[in-house]
Amino acid sequence: MMSLHIVVCIKQVPVSNNLKIDPVTKNVIRSDAQGMMNPFDKNAIEAALDLKERHDGEVTLLSMGPKNFEITLREGLAMGADRAILLSSRAFGGADTLATGYVLSEAIKKIGNVDLIFFGRQSIDADTGQVGPIVAEFLDMPQATYIHEINPVQNGKILATRLMENMEQVIEVELPAVITVRSELNEPRYPTLRNIQKSYQKEVEVWDENQLAADPNRIGIKGSPTIVRKVWTPENQKKVAESLGNHPDAAVQKLLEILRDKNIL
Amino acid sequence: MRFMSVKLKEVNQMLHQMVVDFAEKEIKPLDMIIDKEQGYPKDLWDKIVQTGFLGLTVPYLYDGAQFDAVAEAQTIFDVASRNASVAFTLEGHYKAANQIIKYGNETLKKKYLPQANRRVFAFSSTEPQGGSNVLGLSGTAIKDGDCWVLNGNKSMITNGGLAEVYCVLLKTGPEEISCFVVDKEMIGFKYGKQEELFGMRGTPVGEIFLENVKVSEDHLLGTLGQGIEIGHNAHADARINMGAIAAGISEHALSIVLEYAKTRKALDTPIINLYSIQQKITEIAIAKENTQLLYEEAAKLKDSGKPYDRVATMAKSYGSRASFDACDHALQVLGGYGYSTEYPVEHLLRDARALQIAEGSLEKMVIEIAQAVVKERE
Repeated sequence: MMSLHIVVCIKQVPVSNNLKIDPVTKNVIRSDAQGMMNPFDKNAIEAALDLKERHDGEVTLLSMGPKNFEITLREGLAMGADRAILLSSRAFGGADTLATGYVLSEAIKKIGNVDLIFFGRQSIDADTGQVGPIVAEFLDMPQATYIHEINPVQNGKILATRLMENMEQVIEVELPAVITVRSELNEPRYPTLRNIQKSYQKEVEVWDENQLAADPNRIGIKGSPTIVRKVWTPENQKKVAESLGNHPDAAVQKLLEILRDKNIL
Repeated sequence: MRFMSVKLKEVNQMLHQMVVDFAEKEIKPLDMIIDKEQGYPKDLWDKIVQTGFLGLTVPYLYDGAQFDAVAEAQTIFDVASRNASVAFTLEGHYKAANQIIKYGNETLKKKYLPQANRRVFAFSSTEPQGGSNVLGLSGTAIKDGDCWVLNGNKSMITNGGLAEVYCVLLKTGPEEISCFVVDKEMIGFKYGKQEELFGMRGTPVGEIFLENVKVSEDHLLGTLGQGIEIGHNAHADARINMGAIAAGISEHALSIVLEYAKTRKALDTPIINLYSIQQKITEIAIAKENTQLLYEEAAKLKDSGKPYDRVATMAKSYGSRASFDACDHALQVLGGYGYSTEYPVEHLLRDARALQIAEGSLEKMVIEIAQAVVKERE
């Protein structure tokens, strides 16, 4: 069996009840938000570790964000990943999915000799699910998205099942490839106590734009064509429920009256 | 956000998050089953071992996780607030393993500390004839050439029956107590009866018999005659964690009370709006947080190398009574449901009652605290 070098791209997302939006840039303020690992990314790490255990190899974690994202990378190291790289620089700030995908793909080129790149299906803060496919396009690699079943690598190819709303697709992709995973794929392991301690003895490498061969016009805000016009919290509209009572006949009568009143019938 | 008197360092924070996640998903759903079945489902125990809970304090050098006392107590609290028995089993294990870490010779450490990551350990001093009076022990260790021959009957051992390795206090002279490490695989080691107890029913408590168990010199823990000191140190360690279990039980009671009081209505209003209920919620919260202050302080003192036995004893003494009262308040809030064995509060009350006995009776605590307070003002 071939030894695999797998990169898992992970993201720190704000704990959902602690979200603040910058009123000017309309971006999520990440520097002071209490963060956690995007839940789907744990499935991606589990998938990578599972393949590593079957094939042997190495799992590298990659993330982009402020320095406090380090803790999320350490959590991935505690799950069992071998190496962690944080892309962190003011120049990367304000990136949309395109600029993020571009910077990640440049970092993956620098890492080199990568067989598989895993992503969670989407982040739970931005919810786009675009970054994985964008990275695949930049790297000119085949992609398999929304994967909920995965087989070991055979003859340089991987067979995976893609779960869509109304169908399943079995896809075979040639390596190197990009895979985004659903939570149904696996149950992420708990970091062991020893690995938690170990994760603090490993270095999280921090790379900025000077360590990448990236075009300065394609990173950060400059490289982001997406413009968020407005972000707001929808009003919490209270709705009143009305009981139709316990008797089916009377309930039907009452329901008909209500529907007629509202000119629905 | 839960109250916490110490700001955890980052690695301890990650441990805390993992333990909470694990305890919520794996332990909490089995809380009632553990009490009713009087033990741990095999799947749960396997997961606890695989995740490395047993090796929490074992040095890195011996394949452990090498966390400090603050992390140890935090872990015990996080587990106890979902099920106190699992926390009590971990406490019993840490108490024994910690003495081997502190007092063990290199041969003993090399042999047993890697095993402490996967096999359960226990500390035993009590005998059927007596518990707290260590000098009154009748079990003996007699030198025979390069070996020691051990005889005795130890009872009421936390983890007795589940544990495979025991630290045992035995007489090596008329006024001399020493501590030995014995393994269930040794010839002459026998398990005795398992106790049927009122509370903490998941934690096995049992007895062992040593009948001419022959151990090599390196199985002597510490030096000859150091048994009383080791016993005292083991108690001090255990009492930090007994405080954490007490606070955990109060937290468990509080979470049940809050959930119930928000939904249960009396006179068309949730009972949480009634002063009499708020008074009980307040009492439970104070019981929990005061106990936390004490055991966290004791753990911090231990980590900084300062004496911690007095504060640890206070944590256990105060916490054991406060958690029992907290559970009693919780039972009253839930009324008939609190008294029913179909709901968890009655077992929390039974669990809390154990804390006034285990690791030194309340009465013994009173003497020790009073002596310490008098001594420090002399």
